[in-house]
Amino acid sequence: MIELHGLVKTFGELRAVDGINLTIPKGEFFAVLGPNAAGKTTTIKMMVGLIKPTEGFARVAGYDIQQQPLKARERLAYVPDFPFLYDKLTPVEFMQFTGQLFNIDPDRVRTQGSELAERFHLEPFLNKSIEGLSHGTRQRVAIASALLHDPEVFVIDEPMVGLDPQHARIVKDILKERSQKGMTVFLSTHQLSVAEELADRIGIIHQGRLVAVGTLKDLREQSGHDEALESSFLRLTSEQAATDAEI
Amino acid sequence: MHKSPTSAFGLLAGVHLRQNWRRLSGVLRQSKLLSGTIFVFLFGYCWLSFAIFHRAMQFIGAFPGLGDLLVERMLFILFAFLFALLLISNLVITYSNLFRNRETSFLHSLPMDPNTIFQWKFLESTVVASWAFLFLIAPMLAAYGLVEGVAWSFYPMTLLMILMFVILPGFAGGWGAIGLARYMDRRQFQYSLLAIGVLTLGALAFWLKTEQITDDMLETRVMLVLDRLLKNTQFSQFAFLPSYWLASGVIAWSEGATSSTFFFILVLLSYGLFLGGLTMTLPGHPFYEASSAVQSRGSSMGWRFWHRWRKTPDDPLAQAFGKPSWIHRCMQLLFWIPSDRRSVLVKDVRVFWRDTSQWGQSLLLFGLLAAYIINLKNFSARLNNSFWIHLIAYLNLGACSLNLATLTTRFVFPQFSLEGKRLWIVGMAPIGLNKVIQIKYTLATLVSLILTGALIVLSCYMLRMPVSQMIYFTLVILVMSLSLNGLAMGLGVIYPNFKEDNPSKIVSGFGGTFCLVMSFLYIVGGILCLAIGSPWAQHATLFKTALAWGAFCLLSLLIGYLPYRIGIRRLRYLEI
Repeated sequence: MIELHGLVKTFGELRAVDGINLTIPKGEFFAVLGPNAAGKTTTIKMMVGLIKPTEGFARVAGYDIQQQPLKARERLAYVPDFPFLYDKLTPVEFMQFTGQLFNIDPDRVRTQGSELAERFHLEPFLNKSIEGLSHGTRQRVAIASALLHDPEVFVIDEPMVGLDPQHARIVKDILKERSQKGMTVFLSTHQLSVAEELADRIGIIHQGRLVAVGTLKDLREQSGHDEALESSFLRLTSEQAATDAEI
Repeated sequence: MHKSPTSAFGLLAGVHLRQNWRRLSGVLRQSKLLSGTIFVFLFGYCWLSFAIFHRAMQFIGAFPGLGDLLVERMLFILFAFLFALLLISNLVITYSNLFRNRETSFLHSLPMDPNTIFQWKFLESTVVASWAFLFLIAPMLAAYGLVEGVAWSFYPMTLLMILMFVILPGFAGGWGAIGLARYMDRRQFQYSLLAIGVLTLGALAFWLKTEQITDDMLETRVMLVLDRLLKNTQFSQFAFLPSYWLASGVIAWSEGATSSTFFFILVLLSYGLFLGGLTMTLPGHPFYEASSAVQSRGSSMGWRFWHRWRKTPDDPLAQAFGKPSWIHRCMQLLFWIPSDRRSVLVKDVRVFWRDTSQWGQSLLLFGLLAAYIINLKNFSARLNNSFWIHLIAYLNLGACSLNLATLTTRFVFPQFSLEGKRLWIVGMAPIGLNKVIQIKYTLATLVSLILTGALIVLSCYMLRMPVSQMIYFTLVILVMSLSLNGLAMGLGVIYPNFKEDNPSKIVSGFGGTFCLVMSFLYIVGGILCLAIGSPWAQHATLFKTALAWGAFCLLSLLIGYLPYRIGIRRLRYLEI
């Protein structure tokens, strides 16, 4: 599970994240939406411990990410929008590296890695240098490696960038399956269709605040209109902008 | 459950060793001829510097009564300045490796102790910052060993002492980088650092101020002159400088004073162990805090620079699209250049200016040049020996042209590669890539000519050369500018690296190294031609001078025009 309590992050005078409170129970698939520069990535970075919050705290799988970072990270997987990979390694070697880091038994790395490679259609690329792979293939390698240690919490930023429809489908299916088996998924995306299709609940961040959170039905009710997510999203974010302007 | 620190460190080491081995293999596979050329160059450089050091030490060592003392003092001074350079180098490289590196962010998201991440990055940075020191010092120590007639054990012992020495500025660099990253956004810290920098420079300028030596003093009061020289260089023998311990240890071992040697080895070892213990165990938390601060900040200098002075405008659109900026207004003065090419110029100037890491490094270079220029005035023009006058003049030309080669390799070579991912913008525009390269070449040549031209004029003035010589050398620099920029731009197109955004990494690749080697060989060849056919040499004839210039111009054409032409032609078949 994920718990965010009063998360605030300021950059000088700019309040990039302004008091986010959120609890995502175990096994829930949570999607976060928001306009550009809303504070989604900053929130994610605080959640995975890359930056310290100015105020508040985040707990991942029951561990405070600042107080017990190693314990939290053992149970966490994070895939950013442009994941870092070692260019001169092959996908197999990268998975072995990740597996060793998470203390996974080499036999299990082999079995699990093979299964994931098969699911993500990585077989033709397994022994090729990562630097020669396309962005989409690198993305698949990053996601497969992140799933290797069976994380309890999976945080992913813009997973579908660079993926063709077939592989996007595979990623969605795998994340949904794992979520149903108990993995908490926190997904940040601009693609409303992905959020609509996969998420149990959706949160909308705008100007650093969580302006709406709930199921698709809740969001429609909150926006006051029974319409597609896009319309609810636009209405909620423009309402918030109007409220902020008045203030 | 998380990996123990030792094994996580081992994992990182294994991954990086594998990466580096594959990088090296890739480079060797690329072209055996070019790899061979670089290898020959490296070997040639070592041999040449060994020969120069050997000759210099023999010359200085032959000074009656004081020869040995002067050679020793030379060692102390050299190690002291190299120590200072190592400090700066470690600070810059460690900062960049710890806080401006995507791998660090990746490792922070894994169950890896920040201490382990820091340990690995520290080791990596120290190796990168120090390898050049070892490369520079090896020929010098070999020459010293030969001149002093040392035993074979001198070399492994010296290597041991050097290894214990280079780690010390590494520790300083590591902690300095953490401090800078953590506190760089605090205004007081920035102002204090600036004040300390200015005061230190002022103190150094005062303390190291050279004194005017008259011819009379050189003839009749040599010992007084030498005494002053020794007094002014005594700072290098400050007992708490690590360079002092290294130099003392090396000298003691060469003289067979084993107990003194072991004393200095123990001093180096004790500091190394103490600081190493602190550095390997304590920085985890401060490193994480500093990483978080840097990630929260983005480009600290850029942010402060761009946001401090701007007020939020009433009408941002009108302000943004209204009056043209000063760069645009300057470029409009160049009315004969078509507007599409002017737009490329504006973009290049803006991007360069706003990337502080680019011109920040050139400040260091110009700082060193300023020190060089200021000291030139102490070469008396009243030297009567034409050989020395000649030598100094052409060595000065060599210094200026090497500076030019540094500028072109560091800043011009990566230009095409930096367009890299943005090639879809200029590449798809109707201007055409050929014209983009032409305009970049023109801008680069103009800027490097202004800078290096000013350098050669100033240095000739400081050396009190006649105007005819000043014009002569300025003409040489003009030809070299055209050539070296052509070489750098051409090779930049032939050996592009579109994957990298960091110009230093683009330059440190195969193409950049090749560009540096070719620039160096061109300068050496060109200056040799000109020196042999110098119009001021003994037995100089018009024919000899014309021949020398002909050879120089032909060489310049080959080195400058050919790669540029090949590069332009490659653009036609460029696949991205």
